Amino acid sequence: MNSRNRKTSSLSRRSFLKLLGGVGAAGVASTTAGCSNVPVGGTGWLPQQYHTASNWPVQVKGRIPIDFNNPSIVRDDRKCILCGQCIEVCKNIQTVYGYYELPLKSDIICIDCGQCTMWCPTAAITERDDVSKVLKALDDKDSFVFIQTAPATRVALGEEFGLQPGANVEGRQVTALRKLGFDAVFDTGFTADLTILEEASELVKRLSEKTSTLPQFTSCCPGWVKFCEYFYPEYIPNLSTAKSPQQMLGALSKTYYANIKSINPRKIVSVAVMPCTAKKFECQRPEMRSDSHLRDVDIVLTTRELARLIKMKGINLNSLEDGSYDSILGESTGAGMIFAATGGVMEAAVRTAYYLATNEPPPEEFLTFRAVRGLQGVKESSVDIPGFGILRVAVCNGSKNARVLLDKIRTGESAWDFIEVMACPGGCIGGGGQPRTSLPPSDEVRAARISSIYRLDSKSRKKRLSFENNDVKQVYKNFLIHPLSEMSERLLHTHYKDRSSQLIAKKKYSLDEGESNG
Amino acid sequence: MAKAVLVDITKCIGCGSCTVACKLWNNLDFDEKHPATGLKAELNDNNWTTIALKEVDHKNSKVWRFVKHQCMHCLEPACASACFSKALQKNNDGAVVYYPDLCVGCRYCMIACPFNIPKFEWKKTFPLVTKCQMCSTKIAQGESPACVSVCPTMALKYGERSELLKEAKALINNNKIYVKEIYGETEVGGTAWLYISDIPFAKLGFNTELGKTALPTYTHNFLKYTPFLAIGWGMLLTGLSFYTKRRNEIASKKDNEDQKQQETTNPKP
Repeated sequence: MNSRNRKTSSLSRRSFLKLLGGVGAAGVASTTAGCSNVPVGGTGWLPQQYHTASNWPVQVKGRIPIDFNNPSIVRDDRKCILCGQCIEVCKNIQTVYGYYELPLKSDIICIDCGQCTMWCPTAAITERDDVSKVLKALDDKDSFVFIQTAPATRVALGEEFGLQPGANVEGRQVTALRKLGFDAVFDTGFTADLTILEEASELVKRLSEKTSTLPQFTSCCPGWVKFCEYFYPEYIPNLSTAKSPQQMLGALSKTYYANIKSINPRKIVSVAVMPCTAKKFECQRPEMRSDSHLRDVDIVLTTRELARLIKMKGINLNSLEDGSYDSILGESTGAGMIFAATGGVMEAAVRTAYYLATNEPPPEEFLTFRAVRGLQGVKESSVDIPGFGILRVAVCNGSKNARVLLDKIRTGESAWDFIEVMACPGGCIGGGGQPRTSLPPSDEVRAARISSIYRLDSKSRKKRLSFENNDVKQVYKNFLIHPLSEMSERLLHTHYKDRSSQLIAKKKYSLDEGESNG
Repeated sequence: MAKAVLVDITKCIGCGSCTVACKLWNNLDFDEKHPATGLKAELNDNNWTTIALKEVDHKNSKVWRFVKHQCMHCLEPACASACFSKALQKNNDGAVVYYPDLCVGCRYCMIACPFNIPKFEWKKTFPLVTKCQMCSTKIAQGESPACVSVCPTMALKYGERSELLKEAKALINNNKIYVKEIYGETEVGGTAWLYISDIPFAKLGFNTELGKTALPTYTHNFLKYTPFLAIGWGMLLTGLSFYTKRRNEIASKKDNEDQKQQETTNPKP
């Protein structure tokens, strides 16, 4: 008991005050060091349009949905700034986003046109990069790797190397591709000519049979084809059954070419360089297989990917000599070249239709079909073909303008015989895989590329009519026999898929819907 | 004053704008291995909100639905109730806000949360808890939370909870496609985030068995006695202390007296 009393009294006043002081100092230190009442987060940034009172609308917002498995385009979230430009183009220019009812079914609606990659200011949305696939194929010494180049890439590729918009690098592109190690370089312009013969013959057939499946629509634009399959399935029978030039060349390479050159078709890797992201989707379509279950086209590169590949290998495109395409899938006429511009397919087809109807080469006014040229969204005209009658034609570019035409056909307001549709504004030269020379894409760049294409037709090419193409003549003579023959139906024609069950298309579409934030 | 967000699952197209807005505004890292969207969407210390793709059977066909996950901002948050250092607090405007400087890192909130929302920064040397703040600093200025402001389809809507509830009820009663339920209206006593859907919530991975009772009430039923118990116990011990002290005093006094008495009766030789 005594010891306990002594212990209690041992806490002196001095040590008690020391203790209190120590606790107080620790408290002051910890308070000044931390324990602030600042909540976590909110230290980053958002675009200016999102800093507005919650009851005010945001005029441009969000972004388009992209399926992770989309074969054409991918998005890097790290680069996305939610500027809303992809929605602007997808909805207002291409009329895809917002033109279907919600909820979704089991598909993210996309026509693969890739216009969003042209509008995205940070390149968060880009083409799906297939360069590594090509490099792997080129490294494999056992396989025969060839490449075909679309008409539109030659008037745009130079822009990636500092040249003016529309600079024609046709020959240099061929040399660059040879340097990259491709075993052969073919011209999609060759099968463009072939497409014209097949498609024009099909049109003549439809017109003479007086079937109800008129007008005939062109089918070389995979974005347009998918757009039609989604939103206007009733016009699928009106689509020309002809495959696109890309697929035709792929199909011929693994049959006709492989046969003549004695190459095992299984060893052929069919590569295409296109101004287009939808071509990546098209080449994967199950309908697009030639013989022996081989895919017509194995890999599609966009113009931008080709530029990257050329730069990666340290090749300076500007210093190269001109090269020329390999036969027997390499010759192309001016008619094949103008496929790249809106109205070009129509013009080329009309030239050949004149020949098919009269057996004579068309006169000058058919060689410069002004009514279907230019960047106007919807163009229509009629041509009098002797011995055949009046052919009523329409041309549109940008899928928004396809709606204009299709709705007029639906209501019976207008009737045409033949309609060319290109999903991208300006046609392939303005495709979603082209160099991002101006942002957003401008009509100046489009016009420069188009005039370059028409110079190719009128100045560079001696032949301006598809049926004069020697390689085309040869392929008919030795392999296909004639347009719409059994062989060409099997290899060069296809069928389409009704995709309308994957969405509920909006009956009435208005651009204002879903916009207000109130 | 209680703000809320109404999520209309039928309108979500899975664009993931909300997940990007959240990362931009809150300075969170992107990690491809732990995506914030898609089939493998994962809520973690850098993904405060996710958009999970759910492939479900609905009316004899497979459909895709996108489910947004983030803090539900309970009306009576279990996390705040479990937090003894007041690092989690419910604001008057409805947001349940985390104050990192007050956090001691005990992670009770993670165990308490019925929606499994708070995540820990396991990879950091001095880790903290993370979760959606409902952009408390943004809503304090009258703006919408970042995710809501960027949503292009109006699948997310921000406003007064009572008004949003009214709107949601009108929607589910007038449109046959919706299931007649608002998730979050009563779950664990109600949450600030409300969901409506055309697919039953259980099929979309929502926990529908949480009950209507706010979780803090369970502990409150006995923890409310804590002050009385603490004071009472203190008083009892103080009393006992006084009692024993006095007893000792008396005892020692007696001892002394006895000693003195002994000394007087038996003087030292």
